[in-house]
Formats: sequence, structure tokens, C-alpha cells
Amino acid sequence: MPQITLIEGVTQALAHEMRRDPSVVVLGEDVGVNGGVFRATAGLQQLFGPERVIDTPLDETSIAGLTVGLAAQGMKPVAEAQFEGFIYPMMEHIACHAARMRHRTRGRLSCPAVFRAPWGGGIRAPEHHSEANEHLFTNIPGLRVVLPSSPGRAYGLLLAAIRDPDPVIFFEPKRIYRQYKEEVADDGEALPLDVCYVLRDGSDVTLVTWGAQVKETLEAAEALAKEGISAEVIDVATLKPLDFDTIHESVRKTGRCVIVHEAPRTAGFGAEIAARLAERAMYDLVAPVERVTGYDTHIPLFRLEMKYLPSVERIVAAVKRTLAAS
Amino acid sequence: MSTVATFEIEYLQYLDADGKPVRDDLPEWSKDTKELVELYKQMVFLRVFDGKAIALQRTGKLGTYASALGMEATHVAIGSAMAEDDVFAPMYREYGAQFYRGVKPREVLMYWGGDERGNDFSGPAHDFAWSVPIATQALHAAGAALAFKIRKEPRVAVSVVGDGGTSKSDFYGAINVAGAMTLPLVVVIVNNQYAISIPRSAQTGAKTLAQKGIAAGIDSIQVDGNDLLAIRAALDHAIKRARHGHGATLIEAVTYRLSDHTTADDARRYRPDLEVKDAWTREPLKRLKAYLLAQKLWSEKEEEAWKAECAERVDAEVNAYLETKSQPVTAIFDYTYAELPLDLERQREQALALETRKS
Amino acid sequence: MSTTKTFHLPDLGEGLPDATVVEWFVKEGAIVKLDAPLVSMETAKAVVEVPSPFSGKVITLHGKAGDVIDTGAALVDIELDPKMPQRAEAESTGHHHAPAKPAPAHSVGSPAPDDARKVVASDDGGEVAAGEKKPRADAGTVVGAMESSDRIVSEQAVAIGGVRAVPAVRALARKLGVDIARVSASGDGGVVTLQDVKNAAAAGTARASSSPLPVGEPGARSATDEGRASAQRPAPVVRSSDAAAPPSPNGRREGERTPLSAAGQPMRTSPPAQSAAFGQPDQVKGVRRNMARVMADAHAKVVPTTICDDADIHAWQPGNDITVRLIRALVSACKIVPALNAWFDGEGLTRTLHPHVDLGIAVDTEDGLFVPVLRNADVLDAAGVRVALNRIREQVQNRSIPPEELKGYTISLSNFGVFAGRYATPIVVPPCVAIVAAGKLRHEVVAVMGAIQTHRVIPLSLTFDHRAATGGEAARFLKAMLDDLALAR
Repeated sequence: MPQITLIEGVTQALAHEMRRDPSVVVLGEDVGVNGGVFRATAGLQQLFGPERVIDTPLDETSIAGLTVGLAAQGMKPVAEAQFEGFIYPMMEHIACHAARMRHRTRGRLSCPAVFRAPWGGGIRAPEHHSEANEHLFTNIPGLRVVLPSSPGRAYGLLLAAIRDPDPVIFFEPKRIYRQYKEEVADDGEALPLDVCYVLRDGSDVTLVTWGAQVKETLEAAEALAKEGISAEVIDVATLKPLDFDTIHESVRKTGRCVIVHEAPRTAGFGAEIAARLAERAMYDLVAPVERVTGYDTHIPLFRLEMKYLPSVERIVAAVKRTLAAS
Repeated sequence: MSTVATFEIEYLQYLDADGKPVRDDLPEWSKDTKELVELYKQMVFLRVFDGKAIALQRTGKLGTYASALGMEATHVAIGSAMAEDDVFAPMYREYGAQFYRGVKPREVLMYWGGDERGNDFSGPAHDFAWSVPIATQALHAAGAALAFKIRKEPRVAVSVVGDGGTSKSDFYGAINVAGAMTLPLVVVIVNNQYAISIPRSAQTGAKTLAQKGIAAGIDSIQVDGNDLLAIRAALDHAIKRARHGHGATLIEAVTYRLSDHTTADDARRYRPDLEVKDAWTREPLKRLKAYLLAQKLWSEKEEEAWKAECAERVDAEVNAYLETKSQPVTAIFDYTYAELPLDLERQREQALALETRKS
Repeated sequence: MSTTKTFHLPDLGEGLPDATVVEWFVKEGAIVKLDAPLVSMETAKAVVEVPSPFSGKVITLHGKAGDVIDTGAALVDIELDPKMPQRAEAESTGHHHAPAKPAPAHSVGSPAPDDARKVVASDDGGEVAAGEKKPRADAGTVVGAMESSDRIVSEQAVAIGGVRAVPAVRALARKLGVDIARVSASGDGGVVTLQDVKNAAAAGTARASSSPLPVGEPGARSATDEGRASAQRPAPVVRSSDAAAPPSPNGRREGERTPLSAAGQPMRTSPPAQSAAFGQPDQVKGVRRNMARVMADAHAKVVPTTICDDADIHAWQPGNDITVRLIRALVSACKIVPALNAWFDGEGLTRTLHPHVDLGIAVDTEDGLFVPVLRNADVLDAAGVRVALNRIREQVQNRSIPPEELKGYTISLSNFGVFAGRYATPIVVPPCVAIVAAGKLRHEVVAVMGAIQTHRVIPLSLTFDHRAATGGEAARFLKAMLDDLALAR
């Protein structure tokens, strides 16, 4: 069975689906000959040719517009923004067209496209290569927003995203692209979208997170376990549409919730989860909800980057605050 | 049928790859031999700095770095052709232009070394910062040019884009607006033949990049970007025109990216060694040195001495960079707004408290 | 006294775990200048030249040509020459990019690592030398540096609620509406596999919503309902039996063991040095779990009042079926006092009187309490009731009762008297407002016109929700039942 990293999970899924479905095409900058700047599309142009793995001119607007056109006419495009920090020119086509196509044509036309991008900070990158901007998409109706946190989930969720009839934003946490390998069979088994993944069982507090912060959150849970505190860890995976039930069930059990995300705090996606907890789990909570997030500033350049991203220490401190509250 | 418009693109070159003049009428500016030698020395300094920056990156003392190797003539020409009052909107490689304008090498290192103070560089305070989102700087430069026009200032905005950048809507927007509004703007396309792995031929179906300016209604010219005499002459002309209200110019400087895209890229994945080897024969320092030697304006002894001095100066800058302490954690907050809002002040306190607890 | 510094092998390929020494450009004892070529190293795919970070004398080379050096391990010791230019020390930025070895979990933002963890990209920006240039190690990125490792990690099956499954399987169960607690596990160690879940979904054998739960709870507590407030039909019940412990607004830790005190200190949950003197806590699952939750919910909302009496069935002729008679009496009372055959919404303060009677019949099983519904009890005759009762019992017995038949009753009946007990305070579950409980039939000594007789009586208890019904209504209802039960047939 293949032992692969998260980025290889992306490649494996793309290759599998391109074999299975001739309408799947990949397009973006440097995706063909170079195999992508992170090698996400390595080897694909050699396998499928330049008409299915397309090196585009340098223009995100063009890529996004082409993607909408392709998708509306029966193809299944998987577009790449080279970094999440460069996805902004794509937003016009995503928000005005991809997300609305089914709705405004009453289903006559639809947009089964995937927009994927390496996402998030922590790799000592230059400016604009370390953003966490998922919350800009989670408020747009008609989109799915998905973030894998393991090789297996990268493979399974990307398959699901490509097969999904609606547009999907697929953000790949680049910090954990190669953090470890996992055995992931290339069996074409898609993982379910729209559900959370409970990664660790616990009874004292529910830790809710996604993306690269799954790593720190699991580490925090380990550290807490050594102090006798049992933390349940939930990887949301599909931010939108949100599977709140899983989170709610967990909070019913534990009574405490700490949400962890690297994006800036205000109006980050953690705010949505906290709002729903207030609406539906008020009487299950024995302490206020905590959010451990990036500050409401731009992520600093890498000399200070690690002081910005949520750390194990901050997560542990937040958990202890919830325990002290009751 | 009648023809309503025709166009042609001229190509400007004075020195061939070996430094031999291909025309008799060398440009006016090159007759100032002091300037000529000075600019050559600047190019050498740039190359020495560039090599050291790469070595720093390779020993873990610098983050990802974008090399200027092979493009020294174009960069130094830009810096030397501009007036201090003019505004420069760079991409992220044009250290040669910026050093001329007063930016310090240590500031370049700080930027790539992960410290925002690098962008608060020396030199004219009105120059734009490095711009990573491709070609967006072209529109910003157009905006600056518009301000000059509105305020009736005899100032010029100069911007640089790469060959890849000419595919972007920002680029088309900038030159279009410059043509529509007759802006004092000069856009220099540093066509180094590659946008990461994408060769120039895949970027557009147009025969030259310069001709995109024709569609925008502005003066357009293609230049041998490795010939300092040529590129500087073209810039002088374009900047003068702009300053006198005659509108914008698009200059395509044809050169070659002798380095990888950045220190983490490996260009051998997508371009043949033979091509790179061939490009080295046309590189800018070699031909200018040959010309200067032939004109007896320079000697090997001076070259050695100057290289040694460059190494010393660069080392001093490198050490200054390495010895610079990182900003305190509060620096994450302090420039988000003109005045720190209450909301953010609380977060700043939290971050500070966390930091103090650790120490 | 000059210092000797150790140069640790930098990460040459942005995440490569090691490199092989190809050729040293210096010997031990030689003087080397800052940035001069020190050694060429071969990584996975290419040869990289590493410059010297120091000026000084080479003291020790930590390997010879052909040796493999781990990233971060010592490469060369150099005694610094104070007279020669040195590079300044740079701060560490807290990034951790060397591959994790015996992974000491370095967290983001933890104290600066040692110098060993350097971040380097290999690069040959520079004149292409003639000769050997093998393809360089693929850095796999165009900017920055990331942690990279070859170690294999596999996600463990998480045990929640006594059910072991990997997160993906659990997620799929949720997506397919399968109650994972009821899926038979075919994996090693009792782990539920993906295929197990799919099989269960296809066969419909472990439907989450079919987990036999009493009528659902509309209103704020329901996990699944958003806009489906109270009124009409009670909302569908919570799906997976992983449903958590009952919420209770006051003291949710009542009766629940926790390893931490309120101050956050670990504490024993059992006395020391006792071996197996106490039972081990087992997670309550399935029907019992839901019962716990539903009852607590009911307790929180309903204002219960109970009124008791005995039904004198002395007059009964042979052939009377007790349960059928009880049902008939209850239906009759509903017609006379409709207020008790109603639903009440405590939030919206609405009351829905029902024109028909769907009777919830409490059925006790080993797994817990089921309340299947006898539909339209008001139109069935005795035979019809008996047939329906038998069918219901059987379906409950073999757990084939469909989920729809476990919800939506308008009033309920509990015949606990099969075993023992006289009067009770049965629990009204919202949105209902009444429940009747019948205790054990007995022979009672009664006074009839001064003489002593023994009559058979059935004790009845009627609990009603005093928010929705009055004592008078309840009493009249009970009287109506007693009157009907007193009839011979």
C-alpha cells in the first residue's frame, strides 16, 4: 500500500480521478512541466498530456474565469491558485459565478469545479505566502470549503471534492504537506464531505480545529493528558457546510469548548462555531467558549511568525481557563 | 479595404555579446565615462551581494531569496536613470536599482530574512515596497503617475514587471490607463524568459511583449536588456518624455534569468543546461567589462581590488543584518492601524504577557 | 583562547533527512575562509556544495567520503580564527524544519531550537560549471521551508462510547445516518470498518434515527432541529447513539465521575489500593442512554402532579383483556376530558388538542424502555386493539419496529403492574401532558353497604403536566376511566 505524505495524497487523488474520468482537467501556473511549485501535480502532465494538465499564463483572473467556463460546459476543472495569498483575483469568478451558477439558472447550469491552493503559514515564506483566508469563502452561499489535515483525508476529501457537483474551495495546509507519511490505498474511496472527524476521544473539553492547527491541537491534547485532562479533538475538515451536530454532541459530553484556528480572530470561522454553540448548546456549556487564534493583524514575516500562530502553550492555557471557570 | 493602423517594434542594441559596438552612434550618456565605469562597478557590487545572499540562504541564515543574477544591467540602468523625486514601483528583484537609489543591502536581507523593517528601507521614502502579487505594482505606479499629473509635478513613475507579469490583468490595466490618460509612467518588462517554469513562449501568442503597449496606445520598444548602454538610453528617453507630459512608454528589456526563480526552485527541472550555458555567453557584466577594457577605462587590477572591496562592504552589511535583533512581539500589532484600536490593544497585551511569562 | 564551533549539517533540500559526503574540500588542520567551499554532499538526487559558515582551522571532519550524515548532526568542527572575518550569529526564529526523529513534539512557538535545526535550500545559482551536474535534490517548494519526514503515522481507531473506529469510519457513519454503536464490527480488535458501515447502511440495519428512542424532544435541546420547533409532530430524535450524557442545567457533574476537581487538580475517582472491589464504569449506550437524556429533559420542563385511585373491576365478566380494557377506558376518558390528550409547548405557550388518540404503550425490555405507538386507538375495537398490541410487542421484541412508530403519541399508558407496585408517579414526556400507569391487580377488601366484600381492583396513577391541565380536569379524566373500567364489558 502506498505510504504517502499529505501532498502526495493530493497527487494520488488527482491521478486517480483523471484516469477514471476524462472530463477532469488540471490548470494553473507551473502545474504541468514543473509539476506544481509544491509538486502537487508532479508527473501528471507526463501521464495525461498538456491538454489535460494545463500550464496557464500568469493570471489568476484568467484561471478562475476559464475554470467557470470549463465547468459550465461539462468539464471538471481542478484549478490551482499557486498560494492562497494569490487567490484574491479569483474571487470575482468564484463569488459572482461559480457559487451562483446553479442558483441563478435554477439548476440548468452548474459549476462542478475545485479551486485548490496551498494554504496557511509557518514555513518561513515571503509575504503573501502564509495567509489563512478560509473565512472569506465560508460566508459565500453555494460554496464548499474543505481543509484536509492528513494524507488519508487529503486523498479522500479531494476525490469527494472533484466528484461533488458544486464548487469546492480546497485549501491544503502547506506547513504539514510533508510532516509524516500514512498508508493510503489508491482505491478511489472518497471520504464524506460535510462531516467532522473526531480524531481523539475525550471527556473534559472539546477542541475544535482544522488545517495545520490539527497538529498543535493533538499535541496539546497529549500534553493535557499527562496532566489528567482528557481532551476530545475534532477536525472540522469541511468548514462549509458545517456539521455542527458532531461538535454539539461532543460539547454535550464535555461541557467545554476551545476553538483553534490560525486565521485572525475577528469574524474568523471560529466565530461561527461559537455562535452556534451559544444558540444551541448554551445549557450544555459549563464555561465560556474559548478561541485560540491568530491576532487581528496580518501574519508577520517569519521572524515573528511563530509568535503569531496558535501554539500548544496557548491552547493548553485556554483549556485550563475553561476548567477553572467551573 | 484600407489600413487604419500599422505598427512596428524597434529593437535597440549598442554592444553585442562580446562588448563590441554594433553601431557608431553610441548613446550620449555613455560618453560620461565616469558614469559608465561607476555603473559597471555597481553591477559588480550587485553580483557579489547576490552571491553572498545565496550563500546565506544555504547556511540557514536567510529565508527564501530571489536572485538578480543575469539582470544586473537592466536593474542598474533603471536606478541610475531615475531622479530622486521619481517613484519606483519594483517587483522583488531589482536591488541594483534600489541600491543606486539609497536602499541598503542589509535592508534587502532583512526583508528576505523575515523582518518587515526591510520594507521600511532607506532611499526615497516615497518609493513603493517590494510587491509580491504579480504585476499589481504596475497599477500602483500608474496611480502615482496620475497623482503627479493631477498635482502638475514633473515627476515620473517607473515600474518593473516580468514576462510572466505581462499576462496579468493588472499589467493590461496599467498600460491601458496610462495610454487613456497620458500618464507619466514608464513600465519596464524585465523579460528574463521564465516565469518560474513557464517559458516566455507559453505566456502569450504575441511576437514581442513590447507590442502589448501598442494596444494600449503608448510608445513601445524592445531593448537588449543585457546591454547597459542600450537599456539606459531607452530609459533616459522614456523618462524624459514622461516628465515633459508626452505620456507613457513600455520598454521590453530582453535578458535571461541565470539563476533559479528563487533559492528553493531548481530550474534544471524545466530548462536544459545547454540553454543556460549559452545564456551565460550573453550576460551583461562580461560584455561591459570587455568594452571597458577595450576602451582602457578599466583594468583587471582594478577589477580585483574592486571585487575585494565589494566583498568587504557586503560582509559588513551581512553582519549588520545578522546582528539585528528581531522586533519585539508588539511589532506584530503596532502598524496595523495609524492608532491602535482598543480591541487590538488587548490582544497586544495578551501577546506581551505571554512573552514575558516565557522569559 | 579561541572557540571551536561545530557546524551541523543544514537541511540541504528543504526536508531531506540526510546527505552523503562526496568530497571534502578541506583537510583537518587546514585553514578555511568564510563562505569558501567546504564539502560537497550528495542528497537524494543531486550533489550540493556547502560553504563554510566560519573562518578558521578545521579541527574535526565528522565523516569521510561515502559516510551518511543526518541533517542536524555534526559535520565539522572549526576553531574560529579571531583575526579572520566571521559571520555574526543570527537569532533562531523558532521554526522547526528538520525531520522529526524520535519525535519530541516540538510545538509551534516553543523555545528556539538548537543550531542543528537549520533551514536551508540547496541551490546552485551561479555559473554552470562544466562537467558533473546531476539533477539536484527536489526541494519540493519554491518558497520557504517546511518540516518533512519519512516517518509513517497511522490514525488509530478512536474509542468513543465503547465503539472503536477510525475517524473516517465514524464520519462516514454520520454521513450515512448509521448508528455506529449498532454496527457489527468485523475489524481486528472489534474495530468497525468502512465496509461494516457501508453494509449496515445498505441493509438498513443500524439506522441512526431508528435507534428506538422515546418521542423526541422538540425545542432547544434537540440536536437535529433548527427551525422545526415544537407543535405538530415531535422532532426526530438524535441520531447516533454517541449522543452524549444528558444535559442538566444544574450540576451537570452529578453522579458523573471526573478525574479533575473543580480547581483543575487531578483526583482519585476511587479509593486507593483496592482491586476490583468496585465495578468499572461502563458507558451507557443506545436506548438507555437516550432514556437518561429524555427523562432529564422531561424533569426539567414538566410540572408533574399525580392523582391516584383504584379501578374496581369486580363486575367484569370472563373474557376481558386487562390491557384492552385499560386502553378502552383511557380512550373514553380522552373523549370526555380532551385536555389530557394534548400537546403543550412550554416556550410558545401553545396547546394542541388532538381529535384522535395515538397511544404510547410503555414496553420494558432488557435494553431499556420502548414506547411504541398504538395509532388511532379511538377507532379500534377490542379485537383491533389486541391485534395491534400483539404486533407492536413482536416488533419491539425483534427490534424491527420502524422509527416512525416510536414517536408521535398523544398520551401514554404504562402497565408496570405486571410485576409489582401499586401507585406510581409516572413521567410525562413533553409534548404530552398526561400518562396513565396501572399497577398490580389485587384483591381489595371493600365495604359494601356495611358488609365486607373482596373486589379485584387495579390501581391507577395519572400524572399530568400542571402547566397544561388542571387538577379538576385530571380528576374528571380519572373518574371517566374508573367508570368505564367498572363496566362488565
